[in-house]
Amino acid sequence: MSERVKVFCFFSSEKKKSFSLFRSAGAVFRAAGASFLKERSKELVPMARALLPSVVPVALLIIWELLSATGAVPERKLPSPHRVLLAFWHLTRTGELPHDVLISTLRAATGFAIGGSLGFCFGLAAGISRLAENLFDGTMQMLRMVPHLALIPLIIVWFGIGESAKVFLVAVGVFFPIYYNTYHGIRTIDAGLLEMARVQGLTGPALFREVILPGALPSILVGVRYALGIMWLTLIVAETIAGNSGIGFMTMNAREFMQTDIVVLGILLYAVLGKLIDMLARFIEIEALAWHPSFSQA
Amino acid sequence: MASLVQPGMSFLAPSLTRDIAGDMPVSPAHGLPIRLRGVTRRFGTRAVLTDIDLDVAPGQFVAIVGRSGSGKSTLLRLLAGLDHPDAGQVRLGGQSPRQAAPGLRIMFQDGRLLPWRRVLDNVALGLPRADHPRATEALHAVGLADRARDWPRVLSGGQKQRVALARALAADPQLILLDEPLGALDALTRLEMQSLIESVWQRGGFTAVLVTHDVAEAAILADRILLIEDGAIALDLAVDLPRPRRAGAALAEIESRVLDRILRRA
Repeated sequence: MSERVKVFCFFSSEKKKSFSLFRSAGAVFRAAGASFLKERSKELVPMARALLPSVVPVALLIIWELLSATGAVPERKLPSPHRVLLAFWHLTRTGELPHDVLISTLRAATGFAIGGSLGFCFGLAAGISRLAENLFDGTMQMLRMVPHLALIPLIIVWFGIGESAKVFLVAVGVFFPIYYNTYHGIRTIDAGLLEMARVQGLTGPALFREVILPGALPSILVGVRYALGIMWLTLIVAETIAGNSGIGFMTMNAREFMQTDIVVLGILLYAVLGKLIDMLARFIEIEALAWHPSFSQA
Repeated sequence: MASLVQPGMSFLAPSLTRDIAGDMPVSPAHGLPIRLRGVTRRFGTRAVLTDIDLDVAPGQFVAIVGRSGSGKSTLLRLLAGLDHPDAGQVRLGGQSPRQAAPGLRIMFQDGRLLPWRRVLDNVALGLPRADHPRATEALHAVGLADRARDWPRVLSGGQKQRVALARALAADPQLILLDEPLGALDALTRLEMQSLIESVWQRGGFTAVLVTHDVAEAAILADRILLIEDGAIALDLAVDLPRPRRAGAALAEIESRVLDRILRRA
């Protein structure tokens, strides 16, 4: 009974807290708006804008910490943020964490490089040549529909639970989005531009460099971003099911010993690494597609 | 090599060319003669062009007019080698369009600039690296030297067409095909572009074939107006007026002769 009361009290205090949080955020923006009129906004408004995306994650962390501190969320089920942070610190000092992160990153990168370059080559062939398209595009569209994770039992039979199994699975996962988007990107290049390039005397490698690759690039990069998401997903599943290293293994191992702080740490690591990779992909898009109205900085 | 370069330099503003090529007179032989014999093109059972015979002298400016669907664009595509006749022969300086392709350029109605290449790189498209300075010169000739580093999307419609014209000029072509290049421009920009096209043609000495549905434009620019109707040349009219041509009785008379011929059939 007393616990319920405590919880209720906590919620009401939390409500007040979050309310005041919103109020102060509102004050910041009002202040920013006011100073805009006073011509002093040139630093404040961009700063507020830069901070805006972190408002929600920070608020969530605060709520989470408070819920744990008051006991509303049992520590055994979901450890508090500071305990996850401690686990992070501990595992970093023992060298376990950097090792596992490195292993996972290497697997992801190898699988992505293999599957991505194969997907690009096949997509290129199908996009450029009608013969290649007729030869294998139908098969690709069929295989694309098979969830690649359904291959796990077969892959374990083929490769065991070693490195090659995980790399293979990641490669299969990233192959199809990159294949499809490369193929589609080339096929949707403006036929008028291709005709113009022919009149200008472009053929072979020059045609590819000047027209086909840049024309297909927006679509290819969509494929890359999509494939990066699949890459993480595949790696988590592969490492969780079988393995003796990597972030997925780390979390599964921790589950055996009820070390929920490490489990949560693993999940957060995936989120952070995924976000970093997505930022990299966005950076590449902005750099490579500077000509494109949707990506131009100006 | 020198004989190849010098006529091409001549489309530039005189102040620019003086240092490079001197005040060389333009050689009329630079243009490519066109010769069509019995050219027929069908789409399915419908004949778009029937048994066309045509000779165009080197360096001549020919305008092809006609209603939509009369086959004038098809004729241009046959000249460009982008399409092939079902019967008959297309000869450009004694060669097939494919063989003559290096000396042939097209200016399209929609510009067709590569959005992912900056203006100067668009003009230099297809030029060997050693000839890249020619791209800068061509851009200068159309008055857009200061936009060399811009993306095409920030240009106005008229500026885009000027870049397309510069791209066609940069290769020092012997034949330029203009496929309604001013169709999408506003009236004032059209007039500017017409005089620009006329001046680069006078300096460049190339043969020019302009497809247009604007009879006034044909009368201002062309040495010769061809009217295509029902897949055949219905009217072949020489326009022997001094240049540059301004609106007046002589021009109006030419226009009305072509229009009367078109409307008589309606």
